[in-house]
Amino acid sequence: MTGNVEKVTTPRRGWFVQLTQQPRPYFALDGGSGAHLFAALSQQSPHARQVYTPRHADLLVIAEPVSQKLVPALQETARTLARPARVLLIGAPEGRRDHFSGLDIAAIENLFPDAHRVAAITAQAVLEAVLNAEQWPKLLLPQQAEPEPILIQIPHRQEQEIATELVVLSLGPLQPLTAGPLRLFLICDGEQVLSAQVEAGYAHRGIAAAMQQTDWQHALVLARHLDPLAPVASQLAYVQAIEYLQHWQPPEPVANLREAAVAFERAQNHLWWLLRFAQLLADTSLTDRAYDLASTLAEHVASLWRQSPSQWISPQQMIATSIVNDISASTLRQIASRLDALKSAVARNRLLALRTRDIGTLATVRLKEAGVSGPVLQASEQGAGDVQARLLVRLEAASLDVQSASEMLESKERTMAHAANWNVPTGEAHATVEGPRGTIGIHIASSGGEKPVNVQWQRPSAMLLPLLPEILGGQLLADAEVIVASLGLAMAEADG
Amino acid sequence: MNTLITSLLVLAGLLVGVYAIAVLQQLLLLGPRQVGAAFQLPIAQALLLLHQEDVLPAGADFFLFRSAPFIALSVVALTALVLPLGPRLIGFDPSIGLFYFIVLLSPFVVAMMNAGWSQNAKVGLFATFRAAAYLISYEVPFGFAAIGPVMAAQSLSTERIVQSQAGLWYVVWQPLGLLIYLFAALFVTFRHPFDSAMAGSELEGGVFAEYSGPRLLLFKVALDALFLLLMGMGVVLFFGGWQGPFLPAPLWFVLKTFALAALVLWATRFVPRLRPDQILSLSWKILLPASLLNITLVGILTLLLTGGNP
Repeated sequence: MTGNVEKVTTPRRGWFVQLTQQPRPYFALDGGSGAHLFAALSQQSPHARQVYTPRHADLLVIAEPVSQKLVPALQETARTLARPARVLLIGAPEGRRDHFSGLDIAAIENLFPDAHRVAAITAQAVLEAVLNAEQWPKLLLPQQAEPEPILIQIPHRQEQEIATELVVLSLGPLQPLTAGPLRLFLICDGEQVLSAQVEAGYAHRGIAAAMQQTDWQHALVLARHLDPLAPVASQLAYVQAIEYLQHWQPPEPVANLREAAVAFERAQNHLWWLLRFAQLLADTSLTDRAYDLASTLAEHVASLWRQSPSQWISPQQMIATSIVNDISASTLRQIASRLDALKSAVARNRLLALRTRDIGTLATVRLKEAGVSGPVLQASEQGAGDVQARLLVRLEAASLDVQSASEMLESKERTMAHAANWNVPTGEAHATVEGPRGTIGIHIASSGGEKPVNVQWQRPSAMLLPLLPEILGGQLLADAEVIVASLGLAMAEADG
Repeated sequence: MNTLITSLLVLAGLLVGVYAIAVLQQLLLLGPRQVGAAFQLPIAQALLLLHQEDVLPAGADFFLFRSAPFIALSVVALTALVLPLGPRLIGFDPSIGLFYFIVLLSPFVVAMMNAGWSQNAKVGLFATFRAAAYLISYEVPFGFAAIGPVMAAQSLSTERIVQSQAGLWYVVWQPLGLLIYLFAALFVTFRHPFDSAMAGSELEGGVFAEYSGPRLLLFKVALDALFLLLMGMGVVLFFGGWQGPFLPAPLWFVLKTFALAALVLWATRFVPRLRPDQILSLSWKILLPASLLNITLVGILTLLLTGGNP
């Protein structure tokens, strides 16, 4: 958000002939699930260009769901857009959003009655809509929102010889650093960040509470939405927990298929993260390579499954191995070797090291205390624990994941197919799955009835949030952004 | 009447040049497969911005906010006057042409600072401080790098500098000077990787955060035009200006300018955006000593090559 929302000018009338293909500078508003989509969209066409201030945009693209807490920020952004402006919503329309009932999300249609909507969530479909934006009605000035006042604590400091005034720089809640909304208050002394205050919860939907109000089968759909960027991992965690309660162990072919699906998802998450990170640093050559790899892998994985993993990961469900198309193992190996090449190029890149080395270093002990897992912990255990180490660890993990997943899919043992079993006996169970950002855990309790009695999620990004103030204090302003981005936070998952 | 025609010609030339630079940037960004889009996009973007609302943020300094893009553009147009396109093909040829060029660059940065300062927002304020820091740090290396050709040609007149390179381009024996000059040129035009005063994410557009529509377009035109002019001045100082065989002089000048611009734009693709303090360190700790070394070297070489008589 810009610091100054109000304006005293009136909109100007259009007086120029429209070109056949108009460029669209758009401002992306991610409710928590759109990070990969927006990353892909930004590289699709030179005509659709992402801008970082709403003043430069003439289109507001909103990825739903948007939580209630984000609504004031959304209205403020819409007011800041230079006119003429239009709004595009991405997500299923109101009537078809059955699985969202019970969640704490806002109905955006009521805020922007004139907004255009695309239900398909592929970058290609969104791009087509974006490029045809001039046919939609223009955005009217939405009502003024009253954001909640937030108290910011200014740190005390010793009297200095040259008195400087502290500035509170508010970053977000819509910023490109995290996947989803997060607000950071950086208390700056010039270019130096003295301390930081974090305001989270802008992507809170209340997944765990909603799961307790619905039956076991529908809770599966909700589980997928815990981390919309890694739906397979959270779905698998839920399914495994139920299977523990049912005392059922998947046979090896099924376990392999599940593991492969999660590994592909991890690799894709790492690559989309890399693309967003390269965009933040404005490193064009790295951006191009990251996009190339990410889109190739995404395309390949999409054509791999005859049935998407979301449909066959259910308790006790056995699938025939024929759900896997003939995989071209050579293509996957090629992707893995390109990832290795990229990793060594990044490790050797002295210019990139200027922005990534020796900043945001996290000690292993501190991370373990905080319960952090995943690439951030690995970077501290295996490497220097700075931004560069996190970058390299993610690239290596992506390469290993692609390799191991393709090997797991190559073994073609046959299993008998049988349908899911939704009878959950009484008891409590805990299951964990290694997701892209760390260990996703779930604790469920059942009383043998229709619904889960208690659901608790262990969310890897949430563990990192309390570390932010201490890791940002004392950093330079320009570094602070890079550090936050390097943690790869997914706010939908962090806020639950 | 003559002055009017000159100024109109300069402005028209600048606009064509800016369009060409914008196309060049798109070509480098999109690759050879989308040539059509590269030629169409700059015009479409300009039309879009003209079509857009011209926002004045509440509480903004009316005069500074509204005037900043015009100051930027007029400064650029004034500097364009001393660039010789060919023998006697120059808008204005004072004996201190190069000095005039360097002096007029500072008001451009001041216009950028006005833009950031006047918008009544914190990001703009931060960007203003960055722009001010760059203003101080680009000028010294820039001036010292430009002194090399002046010492060799023993003149500040841009035409005279070109003429004295008839035998040998200065880039051959002043490559260090060229390098420092190019760095400083990127500084002053706020171009990637030195664009943190108008950076995308961290300051949300920095000095341009509150500008929209026609005024944003003016700023973009001014920035591209200034980049073009600095590349042109680089050709004048180091690549023998309009001189070359067979082709007419202005064509040589234009060709060399765009070749240099393409080279610089291509090279910056491989660099991430630098931090403000890194930019300042580069300027004061590396470029400034290097430019002093360059002056010493050029002084000795000038004596050796010409015996002190250009």
